[in-house]
Amino acid sequence: MRRLLVYVLLDTSGSMQGEPIEAVNAGMETLVGALRQDPYALETVHLTVITFDADARTVVPLARLEDVVLPRITTPRSGPTHLGLALEMLGRQATQDIVKGTDSVKGDWAPFLFVMTDGKPSDIERYNAQCAEIKKLGFAQIIGCAAGPKAREEDLRQICDSVVRLDTMDTAAFGKLFQWVSAVIAHGSKSQGIAGAAELPAPPPEINVVF
Amino acid sequence: MNTITLQADSGRTIEFTNEIKASGAMKDVYFSPDRTYAVGVFRDKASAELKERMREIVTRYRANLFDQDGGKFWQQHFCWPTDIVCHNGRLGVVAPFFDKDFFFEHGSKNNDMLNIRGKDKEGKWFASASNREKFLDPREKGNWLTHLKICLSIARAVRRLHMAGLAHSDLSYKNVLVDPTKGRACLIDIDGLVVPGKYPPDVAGTPDFIAPEVIATQHLDKTDPNRALPSRLTDRHALAVLIYMYLFYRHPLRGAKVFDPDPVRDEELGMGTHALFVEHPSDAGNRVRRTDLRPQALPWGDPAERPYTMAGPLLKDLFDKAFITGLHTPDDRPSAADWENALVRTLDMIQPCSARCDIGWYVFDNSRSPVCPHCGTPYRGKLPVLNLYSSRTSGQYRPDNHRLMVWDGQSLFPWHADRSLYPNEHLEDRHKHRVGYFQFHDGDWHLVNEGLQGMKDITGCRDIPVGGSVTLADSKQILLSGGQAGRLVQVQMAGS
Repeated sequence: MRRLLVYVLLDTSGSMQGEPIEAVNAGMETLVGALRQDPYALETVHLTVITFDADARTVVPLARLEDVVLPRITTPRSGPTHLGLALEMLGRQATQDIVKGTDSVKGDWAPFLFVMTDGKPSDIERYNAQCAEIKKLGFAQIIGCAAGPKAREEDLRQICDSVVRLDTMDTAAFGKLFQWVSAVIAHGSKSQGIAGAAELPAPPPEINVVF
Repeated sequence: MNTITLQADSGRTIEFTNEIKASGAMKDVYFSPDRTYAVGVFRDKASAELKERMREIVTRYRANLFDQDGGKFWQQHFCWPTDIVCHNGRLGVVAPFFDKDFFFEHGSKNNDMLNIRGKDKEGKWFASASNREKFLDPREKGNWLTHLKICLSIARAVRRLHMAGLAHSDLSYKNVLVDPTKGRACLIDIDGLVVPGKYPPDVAGTPDFIAPEVIATQHLDKTDPNRALPSRLTDRHALAVLIYMYLFYRHPLRGAKVFDPDPVRDEELGMGTHALFVEHPSDAGNRVRRTDLRPQALPWGDPAERPYTMAGPLLKDLFDKAFITGLHTPDDRPSAADWENALVRTLDMIQPCSARCDIGWYVFDNSRSPVCPHCGTPYRGKLPVLNLYSSRTSGQYRPDNHRLMVWDGQSLFPWHADRSLYPNEHLEDRHKHRVGYFQFHDGDWHLVNEGLQGMKDITGCRDIPVGGSVTLADSKQILLSGGQAGRLVQVQMAGS
């Protein structure tokens, strides 16, 4: 069975402290829980979660959906948002993980990437350089989520095919976001329109898509 | 949560709670407060054409199906829309809530570790060897008898649509709910119905079920005459895939062959122009590689261990037509009626496993000493096989290619005894009850006549009145019922 690798990059910089990071923890549980209720996802989805603040950490190393163990994600008191560093780590891992098709082996599906941040990258030069690198990896979808008033969509748009905006950073909003993310991931098994083009499922009204 | 109240086109009052409960490709779904119906609201503004089609589905097509003889029979096969409404300028379709049998009662293993109890039984759970093995609570899985019944239900429902000139256009395990515990299936999402020449399709189908010609031509514009769109012929492909998947828990076209290193292109070719049956008898190019399978996908994931021939000669013949001769020649695909007919007869050829293994049932393989292919247990005891014959001209009986296996609890029904009867929607209530049963006594099997007039032991030259019985012995001939349509059986003894 062809695998679908899904990478989730989560901002854990100082500004996420308090309710936002709790909401992200709950949201990730929603995401994994929802995907585990999808028999198609259970056969294909493999998940990796990377967090970033001053450092980048792989908190969920590549695992089959049923084997994913979610850690409690925490934030430092303060500190920068090294999204560039996280992308660098992602690039290294994805290059290693993705099984490319050959004449005798079926390759993985083009992977998915979700990036959530509530600010802007502090390592902007590295970020810019990594955006170009990541694009070369052939992701099927890169979706950004700009959470809260300080998140800069322009930065995300550099790398993302689409960006969704979350106005509030509470549990309800993140819950809906991650529910939607699970729908995006499971979308491949749904009916296809005659027009053929794969469209994203419509996000719930609390999330604004700002392509 | 507030309740929305609308008036349907029919004048009926429709209410639903204003909270999206599910989202499909085109619609958001809301539930009525009492959960007796659901309302699916199209997200995009409906074209006049779509509205017209939906109106026809809830009025004329609905009446044609349900307001006729046998209408009640179909209610359990379809979740057919009842009304259309307009909500915020968007078209809404009202359909009955699914029967409770189609929601998980136990869900997954380990006290429902996946938290799916109460969720609808999407077919994919049951059509995948590894999902079945790893996740499903054994109480949800049913057995081979119930899985054959599921296939029969689906074939019947599709046959009925096709008879009415309609095509479903998006048959998939998402749009067919199944209940393996009771052997039931129900077609949902009827709103994509295609009427050739009148309502063109607006979906291409669901991956795994889209016919090869549709995939092969999907790059063409939809008005291009060479573009293949969903139709009854593509439904036939999807139906064959569904039946194969519910019996073997794997996909008939997903083998090890790499058609292109690029996964999207590989998929397009492997499901489209280059599609090749994994069990093709002479072209081994797309066989499943055992080493590619997760251990939990065995044994069903490996066709070498569970070949499609296990389904018996009648279904094998249809799988050959669907995936070998008809795979790229849509006109050669077996019709839903062919499947229904073969499934009805195959259900008579099924026998219980002597060890009562998990799968529980298997199709008689025409051998003298049958062995359960699932667990390897030989059949214990005598196994009478009744070969059915019928007569078109007086006194001359020809084989019906229909066999009835005799096992403890097997019944004889009027449609076995009378060739003019057929177990479908037209069967009258008076013909639905058993008219004979089989009993093992003192080392012999006996057929007990409960309601057949004119039953006769031809070999022994004696009448078998209602209440009487006859011992089953090799090559014995029994006329089951008098009259022109009465069938004759020739007994064969298998087993030991």
